[in-house]
Amino acid sequence: MEHKKIMAVIPAYNEEKNIIDVIDKVKSVVDEIVIIDDGSKDKTFDLAQKQGVTVLRHLINRGQGAALETGDQYAREQGADIVVHFDADGQFLAEEIKDIIEPIEKEEADVVFGSRFLGKKSEIPIIKEKIIIPLAALANKILINVSLTDPQSGFRALSKKALEKIRIENEGMAHNSEIQYKVFKNNLKVKEIPIKVIYRHFGQPFHGGFKIIKDLLLFRLME
Amino acid sequence: MFQRILALIIVLFFLSRLFWQKRKKQIGANEFIFWLIFWCLVGVLIFNLKQIDRIVAFLGFSASGIDILLYLGIAVLFYFIFRLRLRLEKMEKDITTIVRNMALKDKK
Repeated sequence: MEHKKIMAVIPAYNEEKNIIDVIDKVKSVVDEIVIIDDGSKDKTFDLAQKQGVTVLRHLINRGQGAALETGDQYAREQGADIVVHFDADGQFLAEEIKDIIEPIEKEEADVVFGSRFLGKKSEIPIIKEKIIIPLAALANKILINVSLTDPQSGFRALSKKALEKIRIENEGMAHNSEIQYKVFKNNLKVKEIPIKVIYRHFGQPFHGGFKIIKDLLLFRLME
Repeated sequence: MFQRILALIIVLFFLSRLFWQKRKKQIGANEFIFWLIFWCLVGVLIFNLKQIDRIVAFLGFSASGIDILLYLGIAVLFYFIFRLRLRLEKMEKDITTIVRNMALKDKK
């Protein structure tokens, strides 16, 4: 099999506690890491730079979606074959990166989504599991007509083809739904694989969910 | 009559604010003309409520002229908020584009 250039795109905002550990773990399973420091107020930028990885810096905070698109644009310019979107808070497992890129390497899929609901047990906070995620799934179904098992998964891999077709416009957290929408709109081959997520904090607060729905509505209006 | 005088005082207050902002160059010519026409129109309408009542009745509405003006005002406000929201969203995207290009340029 021809070697494909794998790049991990990791947006980071005030992650000085986790960034070194995340870089250390991801380094060995990809060819290049690009950290997008999204206007952090702490030492995230300096710490990441000392690890010898590529660090792009947003002078002001623009949101996770905006940071991911900056990383994607860099990956396009660098000719990456596979891009992995990974979080800087240490919730995802670096050893699962090989599982998420495998379907793309075997040309079985253009986009692979990690799902918390396909067997592997993540300890999801109960309110999130029983209320927020089902509501997010419903919003995805109504607003963008997409039904994947995990409506808000941030762990995903994109092939070169998918990277060319998908430009993330939503700057905030609604980018998860936007990516899923664009994947189906562009008829890209999709696969979901089970992942395990380690919750260190609650993640999106409840009002964050409403913001996602508002952003999705605006995205559909402006499209 | 008292209500009309009160309404007129409010209109005059906003008109004076408008001219003050124009003098301080805080608003552009187009915006100045728009709001000038708007407040003048409000002034004219306040003194022609009876004619508006007649027009409204002629058009088949059961509400009085002042009610219709209020409804129209709210509808126009909603429209402005919607326009403002879209404009704000576009500005946010422009800022992101600038921040992104600077981040990528710094790396080259």
